Amino acid sequence: MLLLCTTGVFSQQATAQSDTGFVHIPKGEYWLGGREHQLNRLRKVSTPGFDMAATELTNRSFEKFVLATNYRTDAERLKNAMVFEPGLAEFRWLNDSTAFWRFPNGTGRGGIEDKMNHPVTSISYADAEAYCKWAKVRLPSLDEWEIASRSGAKTTYFWGEDVKEIGQYANIWHGRDHLSPDLTDGYDYTAPVASFKPNGSGLYDMYGNVFEFCEGTLITDQKNRKVVHARGGSWWCSNYACVFFNSLDIGRVNPHASFSNQGFRVLKIQTPQH
Amino acid sequence: MFNAMIIPLKYYPRFVFLAVAMLSSTLVFAQEDNQEFKEASPASQAYHTNRLKITVPPYGLVKVKALIAGIKATGGDGDVYFNVLSPKNYQSLSLPEKFTYHMIHAEVSSQNCDIPTPILEEELKIFGNLPDAFDEESWSERQLNFLVSNRDSVLSLISESINRSKKVGLNYKITIEYVNGWEMIPLLIKTYNIDHKDHDILTVLIQLMKKNDYQPFMTSATYLKLYGNNSTYRSFLNFNKANEDLIISRAENFYNGRKK
Repeated sequence: MLLLCTTGVFSQQATAQSDTGFVHIPKGEYWLGGREHQLNRLRKVSTPGFDMAATELTNRSFEKFVLATNYRTDAERLKNAMVFEPGLAEFRWLNDSTAFWRFPNGTGRGGIEDKMNHPVTSISYADAEAYCKWAKVRLPSLDEWEIASRSGAKTTYFWGEDVKEIGQYANIWHGRDHLSPDLTDGYDYTAPVASFKPNGSGLYDMYGNVFEFCEGTLITDQKNRKVVHARGGSWWCSNYACVFFNSLDIGRVNPHASFSNQGFRVLKIQTPQH
Repeated sequence: MFNAMIIPLKYYPRFVFLAVAMLSSTLVFAQEDNQEFKEASPASQAYHTNRLKITVPPYGLVKVKALIAGIKATGGDGDVYFNVLSPKNYQSLSLPEKFTYHMIHAEVSSQNCDIPTPILEEELKIFGNLPDAFDEESWSERQLNFLVSNRDSVLSLISESINRSKKVGLNYKITIEYVNGWEMIPLLIKTYNIDHKDHDILTVLIQLMKKNDYQPFMTSATYLKLYGNNSTYRSFLNFNKANEDLIISRAENFYNGRKK
């Protein structure tokens, strides 16, 4: 009988609303995927273990990177950021040439001055990669993200199958549609990281707040162009549109696209032990 | 020491019970671990592929394709990521050519979760919502505005195309829904009835009734199942003759009442 390792161990205690803590996910074999999920098949995988950031990367940390490197994000160069405001039909976002990480939904909708402990958004996968290179960390693979999010569970959510518990653990959209603002959980857009309860491994916001970029491919990826994938749902996702705040679903997006519900968390790069 | 390992006879039933319990829990666990992935049938997979097909209009197709191919790469690494035709080139197109441009090309990025995940027995379902037509891209505001501003011409061009091809591509379905093309209902039903296979045409009929707040539909069990409080964006009806007939007859009644 396979004994699954299910307990994450804090290698450094995560402090709520900072992004400096890491959680150690132990070496072991884990069940991933779903019995009927056609893009994420039920399977068993093994990992040598890894250290994952307890929270999503914050604006504060991303600012350090930008100040140190003068890095210009895709949204700043390409003026292609997609933003949201209440009143739009489901899945409809607006292109706003003024939007980038300091003004995630465009200059007209406010900046991040008082949101430095929120996850950085309106950055692309390419921007996340640039940060990782500078900070000497990396993005999780699709499997690593799922191992961490499940915290040993084989269910759709790390607590089981009842979606009604989502409000304790995740900043999502509770409205029936996106035609009017939704402040049901206190936040219309992003929330400060670690504002909600963590999963069993001590990881915050694995569901909701922002979609988290991962490395890896799906069988449906187009062969003639690169697409990337993000997981976990976001503040925009509701039960009626998206529903990706779980451990099963995997999205796909252009690697240079920037949305105000896209962010990332990082993994430590393991140094070989001798 | 040896005495401590002897199990008195009177306790045997308890140990047998314990042994059976341990054995059965092991079996349950093993069964859970051995749950097998259920792959969608070839028919379901083929249906999923067909659902995502768009119709390519013929109007100025060669010219439009050449212009799209010539859009300057802005992704910085040789790929074309943000495909917006320049204002000059766009204005050089006639209305039917602009229609072709919009029908085969989307200008902005799609949400990460706007992905049509294939599901089991897809061919046996009638969904409440259509999938996205352009992979990780979507129509921009200016593209959507074009469709609304030129609604009658757009619907006329789509009708011509459907009458020729006897198919309704996903791009056409989304357009009809977006511009509230209720006048298309007879043609949609006629096209559906050719082979009764494209259930997304029924989805368009449903969406048109919803968009027009058609009360016999809005107060129906179908509406509750697809759009009620317990629904999700992926909600569906089972495909069967009764549901098919009901949707079509409701849509016909809606159309007949609306055209007066």
